[in-house]
Amino acid sequence: MMFTSVLATEFLKLRRCKVTWFTFAGLSMGPLGLALFMWIVREPGRAAQLGLLGTKANLSGLEATWPAYLSTLTLLVGIGGMLLLSFIVAYVFGREYTEVTAKNMLALPVARHWFVMAKLVVAAVWWLVLTVAVLAEAMVVGFALSLPGFSATMAIGAVGNALVAAGISYLLVPVVAWITTAGRGYMPPLGFAIAMMALGNIFGKTGWAEWFPWSIVPLMIGMVGNPVESLPAGSFVVLGFMFVAGTAATILQLRYADNAQ
Amino acid sequence: MSTDTVISSRSLTKHYGEVHAVQDLELDVRRGEIYGFLGRNGAGKTTTIRMLLGLIRPTSGEVSVLGRRIVPGETSIFGRIGYLVETATAYPNLTVRENLEVQRRLTGAPRTSITETIALLRLEPYADRRTGQLSLGNKQRLSLARALLHSPEVLVLDEPANALDPAGIVEVRDLLRSLATQRGVTVFMSSHILAEVAHLADRIGIVHDGRLIEESGREEFAAKARAFSAEALTEQERADALLTMDLERYFLSRTGGTT
Repeated sequence: MMFTSVLATEFLKLRRCKVTWFTFAGLSMGPLGLALFMWIVREPGRAAQLGLLGTKANLSGLEATWPAYLSTLTLLVGIGGMLLLSFIVAYVFGREYTEVTAKNMLALPVARHWFVMAKLVVAAVWWLVLTVAVLAEAMVVGFALSLPGFSATMAIGAVGNALVAAGISYLLVPVVAWITTAGRGYMPPLGFAIAMMALGNIFGKTGWAEWFPWSIVPLMIGMVGNPVESLPAGSFVVLGFMFVAGTAATILQLRYADNAQ
Repeated sequence: MSTDTVISSRSLTKHYGEVHAVQDLELDVRRGEIYGFLGRNGAGKTTTIRMLLGLIRPTSGEVSVLGRRIVPGETSIFGRIGYLVETATAYPNLTVRENLEVQRRLTGAPRTSITETIALLRLEPYADRRTGQLSLGNKQRLSLARALLHSPEVLVLDEPANALDPAGIVEVRDLLRSLATQRGVTVFMSSHILAEVAHLADRIGIVHDGRLIEESGREEFAAKARAFSAEALTEQERADALLTMDLERYFLSRTGGTT
């Protein structure tokens, strides 16, 4: 009963929030940008006439086909999504500090762990809706471009991969939530997310990709390391540990640390 | 601690490194009284209130409200406490009504409480306005509405008159007085405004450099203040004080407030 009440208020807090639309606008630019690139590759002459960078697009080695489009889309959702998801979580947790409402929230007759759980659920729903909406948009844009090489099996596989990457990215967000509550605002978690993405790229190139949490999504989508068919079990243990440890740290932070604003 | 004591602290201390924000504070606030916690900026009022609400952990000592020791993270007692901590804040994208709905759901207050509290704080014209568009004074009224929504037994108010205009101050003063006398609500309010505390509080504690340096009933406090001013104030200063009071009363009479 208490959890559902907290969850309902967390969704209520998003009413008329411009940030939800900004995140959708941000991620939805991805397929559109990708579609533009595909069109430039397919029509370099017309693109050059319009002043677009046809030569550079060709040099990138990209092909204007469904497999290339979906593969790049997975990269986009995997890497861009990790950053955007960190932003969502930083907002959901950090707004209580920037809007100075944490002091109101923490002296309510509600166990503080319910706030953490409810906010994580809100972030999960937000992220899921965003991912599904952008994947749907990407399919529509792909068909509108009339790209060659479409097959239902390949599309389902690519969409499945993107959803798994989105799910794995989510397992890392409690750590971002903890940094947000400890840092009491948006900047520490965003700085942390950018730093971890950079480190993830570095670790990915050292052969430790499967063990470093922020290298696992890049590894899975083929951005770093040798291509893998499926992630090793150890990676899931690392991700599971990060999820549990991050959630516990956030609860403990709200429960025991001084919450002066 | 007597059964009549609603808020009590024993050797309550909070240090931030070398800064002694609160030092060995001993408080006993009785049921149904209005206790004015008076101090200058930085005296330790807000830190004390944060410890009363379990927002920060004392360095040593303890604090109890309604017979329950306040421990950070133990929140069940807060269904019986209403509070306002320093600055008035609310979710800016939500309306006044929606902000109160958040509070109502989490305190288990009845649905009718929102309309009643909006009326009590005279927020009807702003009920469906986003709080980001409210004046500071109306945000303060909303914060007071949040504190009162679930009909608490104890009100802990940090500078409740902040940002209110003179008419608003008088309204809030009357409201707190009626809550204490008619409903037996215990009010612990901090302020740095002498007049606000002198008009309202049954007992007054003066905190300075984190220590409670004096505590007395309102009449005793007023007598001491009169004796002091008779000696220390010049005729001009006394005339200025009277002029301030006259101006306030005139302003209230011209703007429809009670005098």
